[in-house]
Amino acid sequence: MMSRKLKANMLSIALSLLTTIILTSILLLAIGKNPLMVYSMLISEVFGTGYGLGQAIFKATPLIICGCGLALCFQASLFNIGAEGQLNAGAFAMSIAAYTFDDYLGFGVLPFAIICGFIVSALWGLIPAFLKIKRGISEVITTIMMNFIALALVNYFLIDFIAVKSTVRTEKILDSVFIPKLSDFFGSFQGSSANLTFVFAILLAVFLYYMLYKTRFGYEIRAVGLNPTASKYLGIKTNKIIMWSFLLGAGITSLVGINFIFGYKGYYEFGFSNNLGFTSIAVTLLAKNNPIGIIFTAFLFGVLDYGGLAVNTIVPKEIMLVFQALVILSILAIDKIVKIYYLKED
Amino acid sequence: MDSENNVIVEYREVTKKFGNFTANDSISLKIYGNTIHSVIGENGAGKSTLMKILFGIYSQDGGELIVKGKPVKFKSPLEAISDNIGMLHQHFELIEDFTIFENVILGSEITNTGVIETKDTRKRIIDLIDKYKLGLDIDNKISEVSISEKQKVEILKLLFRNSEILIFDEPTSVLSPVEVDEFFKIIRMFKAEGKTIILITHKLNEIKELADRVSVLRKGKLVYEVNSNELDLEVLSREIIGPMEVTHLTDERAGTDYDSELLLSFDSVSVKKDNVLKLNGISFHVSSGEVYGICGVEGNGQSEIVDTIIGALKISAGSLKLNTGDVSLVPDDRIGKGMIKEFNIGENVLLREKNVTHFTKKNIKETSEKVISEYDVRLSDSLSPLASLSGGNQQKVIFGRETGLDNKMMVLVHPTRGVDINSSAFIYKIIIEQRNKNKGILLISSDLEEILKLSDRIGVIFKGRISQEYPKSDFTFSNDEDKHNFMVKVGKAMIGIE
Repeated sequence: MMSRKLKANMLSIALSLLTTIILTSILLLAIGKNPLMVYSMLISEVFGTGYGLGQAIFKATPLIICGCGLALCFQASLFNIGAEGQLNAGAFAMSIAAYTFDDYLGFGVLPFAIICGFIVSALWGLIPAFLKIKRGISEVITTIMMNFIALALVNYFLIDFIAVKSTVRTEKILDSVFIPKLSDFFGSFQGSSANLTFVFAILLAVFLYYMLYKTRFGYEIRAVGLNPTASKYLGIKTNKIIMWSFLLGAGITSLVGINFIFGYKGYYEFGFSNNLGFTSIAVTLLAKNNPIGIIFTAFLFGVLDYGGLAVNTIVPKEIMLVFQALVILSILAIDKIVKIYYLKED
Repeated sequence: MDSENNVIVEYREVTKKFGNFTANDSISLKIYGNTIHSVIGENGAGKSTLMKILFGIYSQDGGELIVKGKPVKFKSPLEAISDNIGMLHQHFELIEDFTIFENVILGSEITNTGVIETKDTRKRIIDLIDKYKLGLDIDNKISEVSISEKQKVEILKLLFRNSEILIFDEPTSVLSPVEVDEFFKIIRMFKAEGKTIILITHKLNEIKELADRVSVLRKGKLVYEVNSNELDLEVLSREIIGPMEVTHLTDERAGTDYDSELLLSFDSVSVKKDNVLKLNGISFHVSSGEVYGICGVEGNGQSEIVDTIIGALKISAGSLKLNTGDVSLVPDDRIGKGMIKEFNIGENVLLREKNVTHFTKKNIKETSEKVISEYDVRLSDSLSPLASLSGGNQQKVIFGRETGLDNKMMVLVHPTRGVDINSSAFIYKIIIEQRNKNKGILLISSDLEEILKLSDRIGVIFKGRISQEYPKSDFTFSNDEDKHNFMVKVGKAMIGIE
């Protein structure tokens, strides 16, 4: 049986999507396009071809992973805006570890590189966590600032020391240590970059859900997020929880590197993230910080992302950015309406 | 006062439901102008709901509400305010970073081409403060003033908005005895000026002291009404509780054989908070099998004692010995400190049981049901969040959780504040039971009756130290006069006269 709250969440998500579709249609009509044509093209391009669906999955994968990292922070009421910096630092370290040791470790380089990336991202997240615990500085400000520092540092080391000549990327890893593509198992995905990282992302989301909603550690994280003062009186070590949530949350964001480095290009490239760390904030909030919900919201964003390219022949692809923004705005508004009229909250 | 044309507010068969739960069941009630009308009842009896209908927070599902002769159905508090109705809530609605002046005018600013007019408004507010002897400095920030001053700011807001019908929802629950007297004076001044006051309360003595007329609600129904000249507190308390057996306290130890072991001792402990000395060389101890009651006016170091015990504050001088493992704690602010209100009963209990590593559905449900049946918690759905329970039931859950931990030492702060008579009696029973199980109990309360009833020894706290200590023999009374004299003596010690 679904709880009333879950039903309310479903209802508000459905209504927000409907509102967004209507608003986007008005916009499409205003620029002289037939919305039905645009939507049907989007749907047939994404869901009608294995390649389209694969691309949507490929785009959704890093959003799920990064969203999970953020959900961990957000559940502890830590508004981590620094995923962009954290994941770039981590992915950069991951690629260096990968191409340096792939000769020696063979496929074992994958876990090794993952650990290296995770540690670097986690350490980058530890700085704002430390400043918050020791000095009470808002993590919003520190993480935003840390983004600039991370990107500048990565850029400096990459361009001046590490990049392959006349490029902005690291060395490529051996073909033999790439992660298999989904098309290796399901032929219909042929040509798309979707790879097994997607399966890993879903497992990660399920694991995180279990941790947050079924274990003591997860309950303590949520308790601190809901009421830090009460948590202290209930005997929870709040500072420890804040530190671990930040550290693990930031660490998880580095795992987006698996999709790009091991599943797609084989190297770290400057600008690969393309604001992934910020888009993930929207994905996470839309899912109300629930890791299972993130799988779906990330997929929606993946569909819109690839769909924007697919309908580019008839409308500017930016229309899908408008769609994404409208989804967020409608959910914020409709959520409140559902709370008042369906849940009858004050 | 009974003349029909003096009726200022009338409820006619007003009904309000929340889902299947009927909070107000066809209530017909008249409130006469320029009187102090008290509405009393246990937690969850429907008092607050009834008042929130008058203040436009809820609107009734059935029946009519008539204010000053006109039928009304307020859609929001703004409509009620424009009809000169004001409500003082249990929880303050103030902006901490704003000054008193800014908080008072907020929402009713007088502007001149978009700029807030301050000169005349300030004068008006200062005049109000002087007139009612509120003793506030309007340039102080809310974050810098005490709880009782915050309450005065809320009252000032009502006055500024020209409220003629004032609803007070358990106004004295945050006040110390001295502050209560001051508050009563203010209320009497309001009445003298022709205002109408509706007082929601649990406390019988307040009714005796103030009310012109009393209405008793029980389980959503109006069951009894009486004018002050015919008021009999015995009858009144029976009407409030209803046909139920009142639990009596037993003072017999379960086993006469027990070792009195020293569990907690403060030895000349000093503690600073934000560089202010809050505990000033305080000394006292608590042994197993006793209730040590600390009474005092709030803000004399009580909350710092608790924070020191749980390790949230560091000791700057002296030493603290805690010869037990974990300490069970019932804190003063149950919503802010005692629970995660979004979690259900089971989750709140398991959160405290450190050896539980996994929170399964089964585990949560079983734990919830155990507490519900053992501690007589009343709610519709065993898995609903604690926020949806009434105050008394929330307190029972917290007691259930903390006694269930079976720690040797318990710290209880204002254990029955804002809790109805029946739940209080139940909580008293638990406290005595725990003591009889050889637990050491530190009881901190500003309710002197409560301290006298439960304690084996009493300490008076004043300015961060125990100024007086009394053994049980000092407060074992043979007659009412002795008791009265003792209470006067302790009362004086609490404000530092003796």
